[in-house]
Amino acid sequence: MNTIHVNINNIEIPTTADKTILDVCREHKIDIPTMCHLKGLSDVGACRLCIVEIEGMNKLQSACTTKVADHMIIQTNTDRIKKYRRITTELFFAERNHVCSVCVANGKCELQNLGYQVEMDHVRYPFLFPQCEVDTSHPWYVMDHNRCIMCTRCVRVCQEVEGAHNWDVMNRGHAVRIISDFNTPWGESTTCTSCGKCLHACPTGAIWPKAIVQGQLEKKPEIIEELIEKRKMHDGF
Amino acid sequence: MNRLDFHTKIAALQQLDKTKTVQHRIGICCGAGCISSGSEEILKKLESEVQQRGLSEKVEVIPTGCMGPCNHGPLLKHLDQHTIYQKVNCTNITSILQQHVIEQTLIEDQLLFSDSRTNAHADYRADPFFKKQCKIALRNCGKINPESIEAYLLQDGYKALDKALFEYTPEEIIGEIKHSRLRGRGGAGYPTGIKWETVYKYVNNEKYVICNGDEGDPGAFMDRSILEGDPFSVLEGITIAAYAVGASKGYAYIRGEYPLAIKRFESALKQARKWGLLGNQILGSSFHFDLEVRIGAGAFVCGEETALIASIEGKRGTPKPRPPFPAQSGLWGKPTLINNVETFAAIVPIVLKGGEWYSEIGTAKSAGTKVFALAGKVNYAGLIEVPMGTSLREIVFEIGGGMQNQASFKAAQTGGPSGGCIPIEFLDVKMDYESLLSLGSIMGSGGLIIMDEHSDMVDVARFFMEFCMDESCGKCVPCRVGTKMMHDLLQKICINKGTNKDLERLEELALYVKETSLCGLGASAPNPLLSTLRHFRSEYETRIHPSQDTVQDKNQSG
Amino acid sequence: MNNTLSTTDPRTKLISSKLKKEAYKADALIEVLHTAQNIYGYLPIPVLAYISKSLHLPPSRVYATVSFYHFFSLKPKGEHTCLVCTGTACYVKGAQQILEKIEQVFHLKPGETSKDNKLGIQVARCVGACGLAPVVVLDDEVQGNIVSEEFTQTMKEKMGLL
Repeated sequence: MNTIHVNINNIEIPTTADKTILDVCREHKIDIPTMCHLKGLSDVGACRLCIVEIEGMNKLQSACTTKVADHMIIQTNTDRIKKYRRITTELFFAERNHVCSVCVANGKCELQNLGYQVEMDHVRYPFLFPQCEVDTSHPWYVMDHNRCIMCTRCVRVCQEVEGAHNWDVMNRGHAVRIISDFNTPWGESTTCTSCGKCLHACPTGAIWPKAIVQGQLEKKPEIIEELIEKRKMHDGF
Repeated sequence: MNRLDFHTKIAALQQLDKTKTVQHRIGICCGAGCISSGSEEILKKLESEVQQRGLSEKVEVIPTGCMGPCNHGPLLKHLDQHTIYQKVNCTNITSILQQHVIEQTLIEDQLLFSDSRTNAHADYRADPFFKKQCKIALRNCGKINPESIEAYLLQDGYKALDKALFEYTPEEIIGEIKHSRLRGRGGAGYPTGIKWETVYKYVNNEKYVICNGDEGDPGAFMDRSILEGDPFSVLEGITIAAYAVGASKGYAYIRGEYPLAIKRFESALKQARKWGLLGNQILGSSFHFDLEVRIGAGAFVCGEETALIASIEGKRGTPKPRPPFPAQSGLWGKPTLINNVETFAAIVPIVLKGGEWYSEIGTAKSAGTKVFALAGKVNYAGLIEVPMGTSLREIVFEIGGGMQNQASFKAAQTGGPSGGCIPIEFLDVKMDYESLLSLGSIMGSGGLIIMDEHSDMVDVARFFMEFCMDESCGKCVPCRVGTKMMHDLLQKICINKGTNKDLERLEELALYVKETSLCGLGASAPNPLLSTLRHFRSEYETRIHPSQDTVQDKNQSG
Repeated sequence: MNNTLSTTDPRTKLISSKLKKEAYKADALIEVLHTAQNIYGYLPIPVLAYISKSLHLPPSRVYATVSFYHFFSLKPKGEHTCLVCTGTACYVKGAQQILEKIEQVFHLKPGETSKDNKLGIQVARCVGACGLAPVVVLDDEVQGNIVSEEFTQTMKEKMGLL
């Protein structure tokens, strides 16, 4: 593929047109926070954390879904973008019931890290305190909707990598929730293979194994990409 | 049927029409509004009355689409003498037949607007409600039987398709549409010709045309009325578009709330297939095209192109980031043209009369006419079509007959939940895309709600925010959480509990949601809030109690 | 939960013929759901299970779609439905007062169905009859220019509650 040139934060970068802005930034260690993006899964552009300014476009674009083009001039870290990223982070915290101190993911949580990254010292918006269920019906795993940020990484990994499609999203607006089957308890699902990929894909403490206690959660989101790579290797057999 | 057979059949139809002895064609409005006031019963009564009196040779009773002044219905129109009677019922219909049709005497106190105008006009076309209008998309609405292809054919129906297929190349049609300067009537106002050209240029043996009839704006009923009143004109427009961009399959996505529109459009499809105007080798040419109706299931966001596509594919109607645009990768990943019902309805006249003719109507940047659903506190509410650039004042005070109960005009709301409110200072604003945008509102699809002094503008903003919050698909964070936050803050201000800090946060959130949302719904959701803040800020400020600001903000992060 | 439909039930046959007509294509899901809701009045889980199996769609995908659209209901509706339009024109002309009056007379809020399942109150975001605002759809019949006092009386008559 032909080499093209893009300008990101005033640095000229040679690359190819099949990549997204996020790919190029990650390759060149340009930091862009993301939540709904997970390498190996399809991108949906839902969390809006990776928004960037592109010269000539009047709308902010999500870096994970926008392909680079020759002579594209991109800014990833303007004051406006920083401000908006912080608001998004605050809204994440205000939307459900996140209490880091008692969470299994404390210290290993992508949402918590995001909070540090955007220097969020407090949330200026009223907490919504929605009523959320904790589904403990699965023999090994727990789904705690209080800690879910609706990134839908679990939905996509289950559908795209495992192929089970146990998870999906119900309702709309702020009433959306992750569901298994017909909104049936996870333990009664007819489609779940108990493979545990959703657990590794989940960025927060929303999905976790029963066998661990607070703060000891080990998640390996990179395992998803590894799986996909390994499958490609076996294609020749 | 090949072209020659078609022409022969049309000639026969015209011949038959000429030999008719009918002197009085009486139209009964069977638009959704008049039907709900009982017009179908009146139609039956009149038909049987005509039969009983042995007048069938002289009087023809025709069910028609919307005639316009909906809140005066049920309406009866003498189609040859251009007289409209209002508030017709099963009792006075016989006297109208007797006096007006047989004895040829006008019943003055039952004429349209006779209860509100000092001199009601026997010829409705002389009344300001109609005089200021220019009907292009609505040219057949309220004039012909929408369920009869023959009636449509007698109004030069399918002449444009015939012309397009045999006298024009696809490029020439696109050129004509570009020349007309027609812009998308669904709200965004993107030039239609350029959209067609983009789809045309993508090489693919599978392309789609979609007619967006998911009219979700509360307070809008233009698409409904066109689909109910003149479905063939929309269908012919879609067919021409398909030929121009090279599509062989199309979908009409119609709101589930509009059963009558669905029924009439489906009936139009059936009849067009019978006449060989849809299907294989249309009029004997090499062009194939067929269309399916998809019924919307109640989601405002499906008016957004990518969400509508997801819905046609049988999925949740959640939008996708653009680019790629549907013109490149739309339905099932194929190049797809999506236009609104009203846009398609304007195609046939443009092809028949030329782009030049259309471009001369309206203003320099907004050509042609726009259909508005005029509603709210005006005397004459209903469906109107005016040249772009007609002033709001003309619409409210001349066409709309002024404010109800002598109340004073406070604001006009355009563009529904994506639009804004225009205050009295800007009553002379020209209704076109640019002028409305400069006032912080939008043209939108054509909902036009007039409010009087009793409307509370903060509550109006809350009303629209509640709508957007309920209709948010929940995919992206700014729209999902942001609309909820803004709604809660507005609610707080509405009950006089708001603080200056709340107002500050509200404004910050509004800009944030506008700029970061994934799709148009989120991006425009703050518009009613921003526009009321701009024009009616004092109404917010009088509800703020500075004393509340001293209360410590207790929120802390987890 | 019993998730199987009786094959002798004529309603099952209606759904299966619709499925056949749509050639069991996954993209026909919404069309099939419309049909099913017309037949049953709502969408019971066994019906969804049947559709999910026939269209080879995962259960969660079917449920996700059903719960997204306002038109589809997972709960049975009342024998009579009263749908109050809360579109902009109706809002400006007093839809809220109609809802208040209904609540006062029937003790039902939007989305609720009476205990005897006789009456269900719903709201719609514009039924497109704005010229007649405020509008209520009573058992599929559009009624315009509503005056709340008279209207609750009409409702009672309609439901034989007088």
